[in-house]
Amino acid sequence: MNFFVKFWGTRGSIPTPGSLTQVFGGNTPCIELRVDDALYVCDGGSGLRELGLDLLRRGKKPIVAHMFFSHAHWDHIQGFPFFVPAFLKDNSLIIYGTAPGDTKFHKLLSGQMESDYFPVAFGDLGARVAPDDLGAEGKTIEGVAVRAIAQLHHGPSYGYAFEKDGRKVVYATDNELDLELENADEAARDPDAPRRCPRRYVDFCRGAKLLIADGQYTDAEYANKRTWGHPRATTCVDLAVEAGVEQLAITHHDPLQSDDKVREKIEACRVRAQRLSGGKLQVFGAREGMELRID
Amino acid sequence: MAKKSKADKGVAAGSGQGLVPPEDEFSDDMPTSESHLGVIFRERERRPAFLEMVEGPGAPCVYMLERVDMQVGRGAETEIRVDSTEVSRRHARITRAGTSHQVQDLESRNGVLLNGVRIHSASLHEGDTLQLGNVVFVYHEGQR
Repeated sequence: MNFFVKFWGTRGSIPTPGSLTQVFGGNTPCIELRVDDALYVCDGGSGLRELGLDLLRRGKKPIVAHMFFSHAHWDHIQGFPFFVPAFLKDNSLIIYGTAPGDTKFHKLLSGQMESDYFPVAFGDLGARVAPDDLGAEGKTIEGVAVRAIAQLHHGPSYGYAFEKDGRKVVYATDNELDLELENADEAARDPDAPRRCPRRYVDFCRGAKLLIADGQYTDAEYANKRTWGHPRATTCVDLAVEAGVEQLAITHHDPLQSDDKVREKIEACRVRAQRLSGGKLQVFGAREGMELRID
Repeated sequence: MAKKSKADKGVAAGSGQGLVPPEDEFSDDMPTSESHLGVIFRERERRPAFLEMVEGPGAPCVYMLERVDMQVGRGAETEIRVDSTEVSRRHARITRAGTSHQVQDLESRNGVLLNGVRIHSASLHEGDTLQLGNVVFVYHEGQR
């Protein structure tokens, strides 16, 4: 089995091009998962445009993409109108809701293509763009078990787990984990204190080879951005350690963070991971263009 | 200009002598006419990206990345040949895309670590470290 993950957009909130963000990238969230010939896409930020162009370069026809959205804030859907495979007939895009009959994301994607916002109507797309849902307990899609979990965000948001033959990847962005810690007050007062994550998150992430998690803020930044919907990056370390995750990719970098600032943020996570896991957990900053093989 | 052609072939430049700035390549037979100086300044402006081997057999040395597509390995057919049993015959590919480069693992036995993280492929940026077995390179962007 071939299982790959590629980062096409790792920036939070708004595209942030420029010389200061060249390494980690300026495109908003989009993650590609390929399991053998099946394609799964998480979020449709501006990175989705780049993914679309790359899919065309690969030449595989037709393109069938199973698409999952953490939520429908702009930075997670703004790439969809520029996703070229959506304009080409014979391609199929399946937009998944998280509960039986849930077509919310399908409707919201079409809403952003109304004429006041975009010149091409959703109904004029050449590809078949159809809603589906994960049911009450998740769904196996082309051999991969996909489950969703509700997260704390303004909305809310959803995380997704993809698993096949014991290889599990979790994508969990836009989740203010700090507000849901079982010892939230203590963890806010004392950054060094262990952060006790809710059991449901730990169980959801348990045993993942790779956890791709929202780590928008440094500890210092978070002090002024509590309730903005994103956690301290360091809090993701505690979740990953508790869940026995092998690799933690911090993503959804704040648009105010330069590459150097992101590196500092990741280094703080590494120090914490070393202390909490003795080196078992590997932490890195997700950066555009990086592709991992999940073994 | 003889040393320039050495770099053109993608072989080690300055092997055993540490990092050699490309402009040093013009120090031996520096031409003096104004037209030649023009050539020199253009060459300086387009210094290609390069890999600096900082650990491994033959380190330190430098490999200029002047070709669009170059392979790293211990096989004789590779452009960047590394004499290490921890490096596969065809271990990694470095390709140029515009002004930047990408690295791809060619199903190697020991993998490619980018700044310590095993990757399948990635874009490269100034100062990135690439580890292939016991060989460590530092990537340096070109200057235009």
